Amino acid sequence: MKKRVLALTLAFTLAASALAGCGGDKKEETKAPETKAAGEETKAPAGDDEKEETKAPAGGDEKEETKAPADGDEKEETKAPVASGESKGVIKLGGVAPMTGQYAEYGKGFDIGFSKAIDEINAAGGVNGYTFEISIEDTQSDPVNSSTMATKFAEDEEVMAILGDFSSGACKANAEICDRYGIVQLSPTASASDYASMSKYCFGIMGRQDVEAPFLAKYVLKEYLKAQKIAVIRVDSDWGKSCYDNFIAQAEKEGLEVTVETYATGEKDFSSLITKMQAENPDVLVVMDQGDPVADIFNQADAAGWEIQHVALGPGTSEQVAGRLGDKDNLIVTSPFFFDPEDAELAAWAEWFSSEAGFAPTIHPACAYDCIYLIAEAVKNIDGEVTRDALQEALANLPEYTGVTGAIKFEADGDIKRNYLICGIEGGEWKVLEGFEYGAAGF
Amino acid sequence: MAYILNQLINGICQGSIYALMAIGYSVIVGVVGMVTFTYGEIMMIGAFSSYYIFTGLSNNLPLAILGAFAGSFIIGSIVYKLCYERFFNAPRHISLLCTIGISMLIKNLAQIVFGPDTKPVLNIIDNKTFTLNLFGANLNIRLLQIVVIVLVIVFAVALTLFFNKTKWGVMLRAVSQNKDASYLMGINVKRTALLGNCIGCGFGGIAGILLALYYGSVSATMGASYSTKAFAASVLGGLVDIRFSALGGLCIGIIENMGIIITSATFRDVFAFAFLILILIIRPQGFVSKKGARV
Repeated sequence: MKKRVLALTLAFTLAASALAGCGGDKKEETKAPETKAAGEETKAPAGDDEKEETKAPAGGDEKEETKAPADGDEKEETKAPVASGESKGVIKLGGVAPMTGQYAEYGKGFDIGFSKAIDEINAAGGVNGYTFEISIEDTQSDPVNSSTMATKFAEDEEVMAILGDFSSGACKANAEICDRYGIVQLSPTASASDYASMSKYCFGIMGRQDVEAPFLAKYVLKEYLKAQKIAVIRVDSDWGKSCYDNFIAQAEKEGLEVTVETYATGEKDFSSLITKMQAENPDVLVVMDQGDPVADIFNQADAAGWEIQHVALGPGTSEQVAGRLGDKDNLIVTSPFFFDPEDAELAAWAEWFSSEAGFAPTIHPACAYDCIYLIAEAVKNIDGEVTRDALQEALANLPEYTGVTGAIKFEADGDIKRNYLICGIEGGEWKVLEGFEYGAAGF
Repeated sequence: MAYILNQLINGICQGSIYALMAIGYSVIVGVVGMVTFTYGEIMMIGAFSSYYIFTGLSNNLPLAILGAFAGSFIIGSIVYKLCYERFFNAPRHISLLCTIGISMLIKNLAQIVFGPDTKPVLNIIDNKTFTLNLFGANLNIRLLQIVVIVLVIVFAVALTLFFNKTKWGVMLRAVSQNKDASYLMGINVKRTALLGNCIGCGFGGIAGILLALYYGSVSATMGASYSTKAFAASVLGGLVDIRFSALGGLCIGIIENMGIIITSATFRDVFAFAFLILILIIRPQGFVSKKGARV
């Protein structure tokens, strides 16, 4: 009897965990023609021989990409790469994303972004006769989970590329696996400056911290806020370290006085850090993290009665962060992208996303959406069979593509450099305080 | 000096919440006689119960505390039925495994039902800060911190009175000390253990609302790290003694925050657990003075 109750309890637990957690194996309803994907014939290339190739010789050739003209509802069809008549099969993609855990909202954004792009492309007839399908596995953006799932996809010869993960740490953990199996990992959001250079198969489109963090030091703190004493509270992670290292190098050049404190991922209590920073009497409080901790730190600083300008590096113009702030109008952020309400196409995309997700989009799901289109563009440029190596080469050589998040052109390392805006909240709404031209002079 | 005193205030406040968590944990372990891994999720349920009262009804703190207690109390009764009731005479690892499974179940169900995003719990208590001049140093103490500390003291005293002055309290203590003897004295052991488990969980729920107020947010995954702290504090107090468990919680909170004075918050858990190990090396029974003292 006891055993039966125990077995029943554990079985129920496992079932519910799978429901909540894995979120995975969510095959997008591509339902393409039954023909086999090219990948099935292409015995997973080991790819040892060609490793020393440079990633992006490119030199933008004749294939210009035109952004879909912004006229209302036809956008989706015009944006989807044009299909050829003959149906060749389904290209399978593996998604690794934090569907549960503290980054779950980003994982949900990934899922929605990937799915939307795939639905659009497939509805338009696919690319070169191929349609797309993605299966998403939950990693919680934890390097251990992520590398397990990346290995699973890498060992499946039908999977042509891995999309994700969310954090730089997880992506870096997967880099060696991708290199060994010769499979592309295209991350919508990894921004550590040493991620993409780890393998020719690693790509990222978020932009790099060696541009954004110096931009924060020079243009936001020194020039825009005219601050001198800076208090930095940052997450103690790969990403946080990359941010800070790039930031401090520029801050020293600008002559800023910086005090820094770190906290472990998952921390909730910042009161002691705030007390410590308050004692330094800085001009600006900078938080380097994404998502919840940003709002937690600023709210706890407000609760401590500390009146200071808040600046964040990482969350972008996140509505979730803004929504959780007690004092909304005191936050300034850097962002490579802004959902401009004046831009009908972007506004429609944001509105659609909100209706699907139940919360407003940040750049993260938009990058996920763009990643699928980049894969589709790469497939379009492949003459002949679509293999993992062909996809890597096509991505590396992809001419500039203009997606929802703007122009994307891979650098030699496999990531991109973006320009940054200074954004802030005014009257409860995100506004662009300074446009891309503000930092145009560079460093 | 002012900085150190302010960190001490932070430590006392955080330690007070840990103390309440540890009190609830000790009641469960004492009365039921088994370690639980669901405690973090019980606290999360309490925090969410109060969140929905704050957002759905009003910013009424007493009502939210009642809701948090009730929410966790009910979940506690379910946990008891599933994990303990049938396994009193079975090997202990069976109920232990059950609590691990139920903990995963509650956490994942919470992510489905409440959503994966963190929810704000702001402006329930005014952001007022009082400045006291103590030995020439300005000591800042927030109204929220005063409310948290006072609430913890009130509930700890109320529980002590309940255990010492009521019939149910005496029955709970009896069951905690010796189940077989209690049974022979005519006490319904299963029902009493159920009540003890639910009261312990209810206190976890109140700790959950205090965490939500103090950190300004609730999320489905918030329980994990706090359950470890509750367990550590409880172990410091000898696992089943509520007064010493409360002392253990207070010490951990203060040690964590004072540790941040000399290093960063990344190492706060290192301080907490190094302190735990140190105490256990010196006094394996924890703070408790008499080995075997219970609830």
